[in-house]
Amino acid sequence: MSMKVNIVGAGVAGLSLAWQLVQQGVEVEMFERGARVGEKACSWFAGGMLAPWCEAENAEPVVLEYGKESLAWWQNALGESFVDAKGTLVFAQQRDKKELKRFARRTQAYEVVGHDVISSLEPDLASQYQEALFFKDEAHLDPRKALIRLTEVVQALGVKINFEQEVEPEDLLPEKVVDCRGYNAAKTVQSLRPVKGEMLLVKTNEISLSRPVRLLHPRIPLYVVPRDDQHFMIGATMIENGHGHQFSVRSMLELLGSAYALHPSFAEAEIIEMGVDLRPAFIDNLPRVERDNNIWRINGLYRHGYLLAPYMAKLAADSIISDTHEIEKLADFKIKEDRA
Amino acid sequence: MLEVYGEKFTNRLLLGSAQYPSPAILSESIKQSQSQIVTVSLRRESGGDLAGQAFWQIIQDLKLKVLPNTAGCYTVKEAVTTAHMAREVFNTDWIKLEVIGEEDTLQPNVFELVEAAKVLVEDGFKVFPYTTDDLIVADKLLQTGCEVLMPWGAPIGSGRGLNNPYALKTMRSHFPDTPLIVDAGIGVPSHAAQAMEMGFDAVLLNTAVAGAGDPVAMAKAFNLAIEAGLLAYEADPIDARDMAEPSTPMMGKAFLS
Amino acid sequence: MKIYLNGVETTVDHTKLEAVLIQLGYQEVTIATAINGDFVPLSLRKNTQINEGDKLEVLAPMQGG
Repeated sequence: MSMKVNIVGAGVAGLSLAWQLVQQGVEVEMFERGARVGEKACSWFAGGMLAPWCEAENAEPVVLEYGKESLAWWQNALGESFVDAKGTLVFAQQRDKKELKRFARRTQAYEVVGHDVISSLEPDLASQYQEALFFKDEAHLDPRKALIRLTEVVQALGVKINFEQEVEPEDLLPEKVVDCRGYNAAKTVQSLRPVKGEMLLVKTNEISLSRPVRLLHPRIPLYVVPRDDQHFMIGATMIENGHGHQFSVRSMLELLGSAYALHPSFAEAEIIEMGVDLRPAFIDNLPRVERDNNIWRINGLYRHGYLLAPYMAKLAADSIISDTHEIEKLADFKIKEDRA
Repeated sequence: MLEVYGEKFTNRLLLGSAQYPSPAILSESIKQSQSQIVTVSLRRESGGDLAGQAFWQIIQDLKLKVLPNTAGCYTVKEAVTTAHMAREVFNTDWIKLEVIGEEDTLQPNVFELVEAAKVLVEDGFKVFPYTTDDLIVADKLLQTGCEVLMPWGAPIGSGRGLNNPYALKTMRSHFPDTPLIVDAGIGVPSHAAQAMEMGFDAVLLNTAVAGAGDPVAMAKAFNLAIEAGLLAYEADPIDARDMAEPSTPMMGKAFLS
Repeated sequence: MKIYLNGVETTVDHTKLEAVLIQLGYQEVTIATAINGDFVPLSLRKNTQINEGDKLEVLAPMQGG
């Protein structure tokens, strides 16, 4: 007899798990409060960078360890054409040159590149920058195309997705249920906190980029990710007491100011969209898979949705299929190390 | 023993709680720093998310003295209102009084600072004013009833260390009996040790730990440096000289040439 | 009635601060309040009147240096 699993929430966590489960012959039904893919998922507003080496600058080492596997997972699930494996370029402005050195000290698997390499990788930035860090093994995808594609893929594999159905995981018992609701699960997942993020989508023909570009900034981890049709995603603020869904003037100034600093051609860009949502995070900013009898929960993906959802999906799927309560906890290595 | 407003502390590092990579690292850094006083702040809270409550739980679990600040206040009125709100939320009459004058350097507006200190002391607050190394301002602050002063080392978050050691030394000798805490601008443990060697009573810092590659290790490093600096001060360091002074006794040396 | 909650226009049904806070979801939480820039202590929330257009600030513990 085949196993049936219900998933509440069709964002990046829920869809990744659905794909993982159907690969192993499990029957999956999903419940999503939004009317269409991504409408109410914070992963809709993500950067879509598969950049574990850059993230390791201030994330726990485990983010690098498991994040590295995500590239192959996404290529496998979506098809290779959905993932751009072109690396990441990291820049600092002249007055923040020290920041580039600091970033280099705290990361690995990069090359320090000069004007010639910058010219060949991103010709439009060559006049602005003499030096950059090139993380050649990183990749990116368009998170919106990825969510839509993943939805189509799992539907084609027989997953039923019920849109506009806001259900509590408990309502679906005694069948197996996985809660993938992100911050919307905060009422039941007490230790979850919101970290607000704001992003912009702009359009300009004045500049072309082939890969995500990070500009080191003293307050926000600023990046610009190229999307189709000369669109660029500019992200993203990290606001700890993140409340509401308003986009503040301060954030707008910081994001646009930084994009303009990255390249003056952004001054003429058209603002297409302002996005705001709340990232779900636990105390160590690491995601968790937890089990409480027949309810599993995947949550706390923080700013690493596309990077870590595949690994969390594997963990959850293993636990569901083998019916085990032993689920790996992503250890917070940095703080557990014996410092006595 | 650090004694401020009648309370005694064995540790002389006051640590800020902002900008850590995660709340877990914040918590562990504070533990490793051995700090007994941690600074906190107040920000808007929405009814739906209640984000501040989780942070407050982490701080409460550490069972330390909290020192709320009035960071980001530019006027007497703002600072005084914030102090009142902080007193209610944190259930303490301690307040780190910051009245900022200018955005690029975040330099204290000492005129508004003295004014705000006066109002708050009258309202029963125990005020920890973040001030410059100006002696006259320091004196005015003491006249309002402040029992501790917190002169800057360098602008907030700059990590430059003690920008003006001469002024800080002068301040120390001018106010020998007032608890003096160097606040802001510290970058590395040697800066903190230097302040302690000069006889300051404590050091308050945040970014130097939170922004380090390994904040937990850096917290420990600062604790050690501050302890070393204090021991050195108590041991009465030698004075610097222009010329060498042989350390090996010369008496009885063999004559071999 | 419309007020400004932390700078955001918000509709509330009550005229006393305590009732407004309950309606807005601040129950049994550690917060402090100010109306139009003036602190309103916990003990006065029950009977403090809140009027159309008032600016209500609700603050909670947050990271600080």
